[in-house]
Amino acid sequence: MANLTNLYDVSKCTACRGCMVACKDWNQLPAVIEPFKGNYDTHGGDTNGDTYTVVRFIEGEDPVDGVYWKFLKYQCMHCLEPACMKVCPQGAYSKTSWGATFHDPEKCIGCQYCTYACPFMIPKYRKREDKISKCTLCVDRVEEGLTPACARTCPTAALKFGDRDELLAEAEERAKFLRANGFPRATIYGRVELGGLNKLYVLTDSPDKFGLPVDPKVPGQISFWQNWIQPYFGWLIPIALGGSAISFVTTRILANKNGDHTEGGHE
Amino acid sequence: MKVTRRQFLKVTGATAASFALVDLGFNLQATASAVKELRIKNVTPVPTVCPYCASGCGLVVYSERDAEGKFVKLLSVHGDPDNPINQGGACSKGAAMFNLREIYDEHTGEQIVNPKRVQKPLYRAAGTDKWVEKDWDWMLDQIAQRVKETRDNSFIHKETIADGSEVIVNRTEKIASIGGSGLDNEECYLLTKMMRALGLVYLETQARI
Amino acid sequence: MTNHIVDLKNTDCALIMGSNAAENHPISMKWLLRAREQRNAKIIHVDPRYTRTSTKADIYAPLRSGTDIAFLGGMIKYIIDNERYHKEYVLAYTNASFLVKEEFGFEDGLFSGYDADNRKYDVSSWDYQYDESGLPMKDPTLQNPRCVFQLMKKHYERYDIDTVCQITGTPKKKYLEVLEAYSATGAPDKTGTIMYAMGITQHTVGSQNVRSFAMVQLLLGNMGRPGGGVNALRGENNVQGATDMALLFHIIPGYIDSPTNGPDNKDLLAYIRKATPGAGKLQFDTLEEFRELVKAGFPNSGFKINTSKWMISLLKAWWGDAAIAENDYAYHYMPKRDANKNYSHIAMFEAMHKGEIDGLFVNGTNPVVGGPNANKEQEALSKLKWMVSIDLWLNETADFWTYPAWERPVENENVPKLSAADIQTEVFFLPAAAVFEKEGTAAQTGRWVQYRWQAADPVGESKADLWIYNELGKKIKSLYASSSKPEDEAITKLAWNYDDEHGHDDILKVAAELCGVNVSDGLPVEGFANLKDDGSTACGCWVYCGAMTYKDGEVIYKTKLRDNKDNSKEGLGLFSNWAWAWPVNRRIVYNRCSISPDGVTPWPGDEKRVLIHWDAAAGSWVGDDVCDTGKTSPPEKALPFIMRPEGMGCFFAAKSSMKDGPFPEHYEPWESPTANAMNKQNLNPATKVWEPDKQGTPDKYPIIATTYRVVEHWQTGALTRNLPWLAELMPDMMIEMSEQLAREKGIKNGRKVIVSTTRGDIEAVACVTKRFKPFNIHGQEVHEIGLLWHYGFKGFATGDPANRLTPHIGCANTMIPEYKAFLCDVRRA
Repeated sequence: MANLTNLYDVSKCTACRGCMVACKDWNQLPAVIEPFKGNYDTHGGDTNGDTYTVVRFIEGEDPVDGVYWKFLKYQCMHCLEPACMKVCPQGAYSKTSWGATFHDPEKCIGCQYCTYACPFMIPKYRKREDKISKCTLCVDRVEEGLTPACARTCPTAALKFGDRDELLAEAEERAKFLRANGFPRATIYGRVELGGLNKLYVLTDSPDKFGLPVDPKVPGQISFWQNWIQPYFGWLIPIALGGSAISFVTTRILANKNGDHTEGGHE
Repeated sequence: MKVTRRQFLKVTGATAASFALVDLGFNLQATASAVKELRIKNVTPVPTVCPYCASGCGLVVYSERDAEGKFVKLLSVHGDPDNPINQGGACSKGAAMFNLREIYDEHTGEQIVNPKRVQKPLYRAAGTDKWVEKDWDWMLDQIAQRVKETRDNSFIHKETIADGSEVIVNRTEKIASIGGSGLDNEECYLLTKMMRALGLVYLETQARI
Repeated sequence: MTNHIVDLKNTDCALIMGSNAAENHPISMKWLLRAREQRNAKIIHVDPRYTRTSTKADIYAPLRSGTDIAFLGGMIKYIIDNERYHKEYVLAYTNASFLVKEEFGFEDGLFSGYDADNRKYDVSSWDYQYDESGLPMKDPTLQNPRCVFQLMKKHYERYDIDTVCQITGTPKKKYLEVLEAYSATGAPDKTGTIMYAMGITQHTVGSQNVRSFAMVQLLLGNMGRPGGGVNALRGENNVQGATDMALLFHIIPGYIDSPTNGPDNKDLLAYIRKATPGAGKLQFDTLEEFRELVKAGFPNSGFKINTSKWMISLLKAWWGDAAIAENDYAYHYMPKRDANKNYSHIAMFEAMHKGEIDGLFVNGTNPVVGGPNANKEQEALSKLKWMVSIDLWLNETADFWTYPAWERPVENENVPKLSAADIQTEVFFLPAAAVFEKEGTAAQTGRWVQYRWQAADPVGESKADLWIYNELGKKIKSLYASSSKPEDEAITKLAWNYDDEHGHDDILKVAAELCGVNVSDGLPVEGFANLKDDGSTACGCWVYCGAMTYKDGEVIYKTKLRDNKDNSKEGLGLFSNWAWAWPVNRRIVYNRCSISPDGVTPWPGDEKRVLIHWDAAAGSWVGDDVCDTGKTSPPEKALPFIMRPEGMGCFFAAKSSMKDGPFPEHYEPWESPTANAMNKQNLNPATKVWEPDKQGTPDKYPIIATTYRVVEHWQTGALTRNLPWLAELMPDMMIEMSEQLAREKGIKNGRKVIVSTTRGDIEAVACVTKRFKPFNIHGQEVHEIGLLWHYGFKGFATGDPANRLTPHIGCANTMIPEYKAFLCDVRRA
């Protein structure tokens, strides 16, 4: 089965933020109301436990083109080789046959190690349930033949959903068109990054201009964990780890194993 | 008006909507057993039109009903894929329509009726500092009486006009009405008809502000 | 909109001016971006601030708020000077060739006939020269110095590019780019659309701003054609319908003048003589005689020759059996307003403030947040004896008597600080059902009337507004039931029968009455051509006639139609079988202009955008859209603008069409940082000044302020600030300002500031942005700031209402307040 993915074309996005609300409607997420801080970004342009996707606003001035205001929808990239999945001690993460990185809250113990592993800082802790949450690529919708809520609602079709190979070809075409029509640095993102993302972007400028890591990397200690610690963690952990975030994780794991499920206070 | 309601109802059936549930044109086998079941499966959506800007985007409302067909709660509100104006699209406002009636509580995540919605008629007496719940009948009776009293005390039935003749002018300048641009046409029509029959000339809507 | 939302995809160039379409009408961008993708269309955005719309524009040109006529006048001059106009179109479809009276003139910013004492024009010189048969005289060569074309050319001679840019503050290079790109749509195979909203109308020259658009579009041959038009993006889901139903003092449903106490309205026949164009000069003493004249036709009447049919059918709908020939069809039951008085929103609140109004119905609106000079309007409410508020929530207006309503960030002697004990207004709050908790139709901005079905039960005891009005109507009628007084007949004899057999309100009974029925059998009237002025038809709003039809024993309310197959052969997106559009399901008005004057030949190179054509064999107009001209009138007689007496598009607005001049002329806003460089009048000479003592001057208030909206909220915010998901996206009242101004004032991004005008002060969070830039006006740096007007003290997201700052002054024609350009000062809180 070919992968199914979102293609997001920034040149068509008007930042209406319908995707943000449709996501909350479909995933039954409460609002998180925080004060206005001087720009249009909500939650500092980041996701949170009840916000799976945000649109970022990037304002600046170019000596030639003048003022610009770029928009970028930001959410889980559904990496083809997800670091979150590799580090999860409980196996709460899985890949669906069509490419979504699925997080199962039933298995999640709220240890939050995935939040440190993710190169895009996507998984977030949801305090009221003491669990991690993130974009599901609307797996419940897709598996019944529906498009994800965000792509479904996009008024200008800046966001599309479909076969990854086909969308990749479309994205290449579109970037080529944009390069010839006023955006010489237009490019695509998600084709090769981190071995490929299951979210594709058509960008009118280089990724760094949109705040995307040009060459995203999984933090170094993750592979250490994955290759050495995770297989033996039952007995190695107390020896290997000190007072870092990782010790918090291990405490969680052990506490969970003892059925001692305390309220988490770490955000 | 001799056309019966039944005849009208037949019309609704004749033009009933087709709602494609499948957007993608294919179905996938469930891969993750933990995936929640699609909560709008086998639910027939009801079409409406967005109440915000005047673009007229169609929206569809999915709701849960009990065995008797009685409304239980909302499930989701989406853009209407059949509507040629928006073809399923909805901006942040349109996509937020669910919140017009129900919300997810910030602390518990529970689905509840929007606490800001007023559920009973309220009356505030002159000079007091609180609302008091009243029933509809009392409210409408009181309002009708205020209308009659103000109208009758201020009504100009006849007037001598510029050419010296006396004509019927049937107006009151003591009652005013504003708003209505958020109402349906049929409601606007009843409003305009009722207010003018009462003699109102201070009659305005949001078109002018 | 003369066209409609989907039609935007057919354009070659879109001029978005006075509109932030991407934010306030997001779906319009779907179709514009499609036009760009498929037709290589250009998008131009002209706005004081770089917005989300600007990000999608090919050309963004800033202009100072309130200088649109200068901008567009310069465009008219450019189009004429460079011969970019569509010559054949201009000659055949406009009044360019008409000769104007010798008495008409313009000097020092004033048109002929000005009465300075009353700030009014005598419009008698603003007229054509007529021949013996009473028809306007023409010069098809367009050379006669008294022809409209030459007068227009002369009028805009002063609007050269340098003068314009000094007034508007638009960089010259950007202005030239706009002129070049948009005037290219004058080619016969190109069309351009103009999209506007309240950024255009909310000025003391609002109507003339729109007139300037119409003139540009007529010059370029863009009216009545797919991808063209003058397109008002209306702001509320059914503001179009509320206007159609005439919830406005000056009209009754269907855009018919509301009767006045003037001698020319003293009885039905006098009213018809006045309201029917061209009837004033005719001899008739009875309605029968008038009917014969209508049948024969008379000059300068246009389609409004049918006014008597619309009026009498309306009276019949309202007073039923009591409306008979002997009592002028109950004409006298209709209230007659004082001909010399204005009853518009501002006037209403001025009267209320003086204590002249006792009772007020507030139907889903919120003047404490949305009204101009909101401090004053809030105080005015406290002088009412009673107020009825119908809404989903206790908005700021319903709660105007509570403590938080009178809190202000700084003490201001102009603003009273009342407490609940001071306010003797009784308030009745009626909880209304939400849009999907009831059913009914709404007319969107492109005139499509769509049905909204009921999808959920109303919350608690809330009720559909239809139920509320129906029940209240019944209650009021029952209070008057025993009256036999003649002054109560308008109520006692009012036809008010909307209950079904179970005593429930029946919306389709209301719909049938407003769309029109034959009195004899109660069946729908099939289109307004079948309305009569003899009492045999009853129709509440003639423009909706035809929305209901009777076919094969069934009544069909066409607003419910859901066939979304595009019926146009060239894929123009007419969707004529989806819902119903007024009038007569016509999707693009003035569509006679979509084909060349002979009615057969398409405009060269534009074969695919022909909407209708003349079929000589059939002797009628045929095509994908419903023709907007006499269906059987041969091309040489088929006029393109049938609602106009002259049947033509008007560069020159003759007679009483406009109150402030036949040509748009630039005047400064009431509060402006600069003197008028175009003529000697600063303010529109025909605008009424309500509060002369409240005019802010640039020495104390040097900064221009404007108000606007964002996509995440809507109007006064009652319907969005009460929704947590939207409150989350835009949680606080904020104002936008340039980095330069912030530096000058020591203001930091994200920190609180105070904005003040002569009307009041508000506190808000500063959003310091590169998207606002100071303007260079006649060599001076002038700052402008922008305020969201969505906020109030109720809901999940709160903040001070921007309208506490805005003035009580309005457009000379419509009285729409000048929200979009006024003077203020700003400082750190």
